[in-house]
Amino acid sequence: MGGFLLRRIGQGLLVVIGVTLIVFIATRMVGDPVKVMLPLSATDAQRAAFAQQFGLDRPMGEQFVDFVGDLARLDFGESLWQRRPALDVVLERLPNTLMLIGAGLGLAIVLALPLGAIAALRPGGWVDRTTVFVGLFGLSLPQFWFGLILIVFFAVTLRWLPTSGMGGLPYFILPAITLAMPSLARLVMLVRSSMIDELNQQYVRTARAKGLRFPRVVMVHAMRNTLVPFVTLAGWELISALAGYTVVVETVFAWPGLGLTAMQAIQKSDLFLLQAIVFTVAVLIVVINVGLDVIYKLIDPRIRLA
Amino acid sequence: MNLLTRLASSAALAAIMALSPLAAEAADITIAIGSEPSTLDPQVRDDGGERAINDNVYETLMARTPEGELVAGLAAAAPTQVDAKTWEFKLRPDVKFHNGEAFNADAVVNSVKRVIDPALKSEQMAYFGTITGAEKVDDLTVRILTSGPDPILPSRMYWMKMIPAAYSGDAKFAEAPSGTGPYKFTSWNRGQDIVLEKNADYWGGAPAIDKVTYRFVGESGTRLSGLMAGELDVITNLLPEFAEQAPKFAAVSGLETTLMIVSTDNEVTKDPRVREAMNISVDRKALAESLFGGYATPAKGQVVNPKAFGYNKALPDYVFDVDKAKALIKEAGAEGKTIKLVGEAGRWLKDRELIEAVGAYWKDAGLNVDIKIEDFGEYLNQLFDKNKRPDAVFLSNSNELLDVDREMTSVLQSKASSASNSDQEMSDQINAARIETDVEKRQAMYDAITKKSYDLSYLVPLLNQQDIYGFSKRLEWQPRVDSKLLVKEMKVTE
Repeated sequence: MGGFLLRRIGQGLLVVIGVTLIVFIATRMVGDPVKVMLPLSATDAQRAAFAQQFGLDRPMGEQFVDFVGDLARLDFGESLWQRRPALDVVLERLPNTLMLIGAGLGLAIVLALPLGAIAALRPGGWVDRTTVFVGLFGLSLPQFWFGLILIVFFAVTLRWLPTSGMGGLPYFILPAITLAMPSLARLVMLVRSSMIDELNQQYVRTARAKGLRFPRVVMVHAMRNTLVPFVTLAGWELISALAGYTVVVETVFAWPGLGLTAMQAIQKSDLFLLQAIVFTVAVLIVVINVGLDVIYKLIDPRIRLA
Repeated sequence: MNLLTRLASSAALAAIMALSPLAAEAADITIAIGSEPSTLDPQVRDDGGERAINDNVYETLMARTPEGELVAGLAAAAPTQVDAKTWEFKLRPDVKFHNGEAFNADAVVNSVKRVIDPALKSEQMAYFGTITGAEKVDDLTVRILTSGPDPILPSRMYWMKMIPAAYSGDAKFAEAPSGTGPYKFTSWNRGQDIVLEKNADYWGGAPAIDKVTYRFVGESGTRLSGLMAGELDVITNLLPEFAEQAPKFAAVSGLETTLMIVSTDNEVTKDPRVREAMNISVDRKALAESLFGGYATPAKGQVVNPKAFGYNKALPDYVFDVDKAKALIKEAGAEGKTIKLVGEAGRWLKDRELIEAVGAYWKDAGLNVDIKIEDFGEYLNQLFDKNKRPDAVFLSNSNELLDVDREMTSVLQSKASSASNSDQEMSDQINAARIETDVEKRQAMYDAITKKSYDLSYLVPLLNQQDIYGFSKRLEWQPRVDSKLLVKEMKVTE
């Protein structure tokens, strides 16, 4: 397993470097930060002076060499927009997004397993039909709209919870539910269908025939096999949340997270901040992927890591 | 965000009855602004979020009344001209920065020198480009030097914030501002809020509001919800369709004026008759009503901000006349000819809707309009492209300094960053006007320029946007034409 981890980390490093290089090229092809940052009425001479002050007028090759050199020292330069080290901005906003994902995805995972399993016990029963209906509902709702509806109902009408912002536990509830909704729907559907499959397998009948109690068969034997696809999907949910899926929730609830910051960095053509964000997220995704492989192995010893 | 989700969210909010907000503690208010300041250094960025805070902490030599008139601020009186390139300011005595430093000629000299120093990389140089330095005469007299005669200098000094000389070198300066203003900085909890408290020793008298908390809420529906839930007292950029749902609201003439810049050199649009048709075929009143709920004013023959110096009072409204427009297009032989209209979506309120509506009006007049909505970066490339001007390009022009020079040097003067004409004579007139320091003569020169631009339809000015603010029931404030959020002018009634 040690060799496996080393190999995966090596591969991950390549991925991170590749992604960062692509971002370097893409950000410089898309927008011109000088035009975006300065007031629209700035003169051409003022734009040229600004470009020179930030070294953006130098040949691309020269900028690239500097970029690679700085990257090796984990120096992402100064954010054009925030006027402070880009990595500081990322490290300040990342925990906010991680907390939001933790709350939202945690909620989805905790609810998906029992709900999906109960639904699978009686396919076609009322619990099952309700679960399927709510699942489809959760998948089809535009997140943006759902978030606003929650705000209007729980914060404006009932005044139980704050409308937006970040703070103590009450501030987490609505954003977490909004973020959890589509993930919960996908996860419930997956648990339900794979549990139905498992419960029709030979080994379940054998176990029952041997006299094992049904709850134990479900909770221990079938659930364990269900967990493998579940972890895959939960991992995918986690990765896509990190890769910017939280931006809608962060926007609606004015949550000061990394997704919102990334969107603003794109709008402002803040090359240096974008590079730092993409690099950090790429590293996280690589780490998560390695972590998932380890979890597979723990759930199902038959899986060989090579 | 697309139109559908906007409609859905406005419908959802419309379903909720207006609720009276809870009264918070006396004289503490919360204001929601659209974006968090990236820095609280008042001299580096051109950032509305930063200004919303620092306009209350820092002050400038010149100030404006809520109606936009330029008056003395930290200066004791309006400046006098020593010679063509030198303005002299007398300073208000006995003013101190919050940190105890004295406000005097040295502070002014340092403020000027710091912001124009290339090492600061200030985006605000777009406002201060003509300033070359400052000199102390005595403790309360200072001279500002310009590269050429600059009649706009007093307006520029309404934009330049005065900073404490010693503290401005401190690393903390960008995070914990210290000015001379009516509010003192208390705390900045990044991502969450900024808190200011009143400066009891303010030279203009202590303000009514004791403490103000700023929150950063980008989504307009969420801002309105916060107002309706009683969490907020002031919100900015209330959408016109939401105005009636706020507990209270106020609208005021804003800084932005939308327009189409028409190329005078391109094949179809070089004919002044075509350009005139493009102007009179647009029903501005209908646009103001249908898109902006009436919270926009049709431009009167010019793109110049109505509150700005240099506004031409003599120019008439554009009279909507689609039949005459059709006739003009036919006469010019442009019927069915294709023109390209370049725009963007999402940067300004209802920009896409406005661009598409104007394109449709031009189609009604007989032109074939190819509307290109580009992403912002590509849009800017085309807006600033000197060699290949689009037939028409959309812009929302903002006039922070409330001086006509902004419109002249961004959209009208040939070779200016976004201009699309090659009228050398007009360009010379603009250069002459921008160094004319006699106020009346300067106004007369601009009147001639804006008249010519109107007669030849160099531009298609559209609407002057109003700023709409939402208030809680207890808050009283008259919004300003310069869009500044000055808390010292606000009060609460319990």
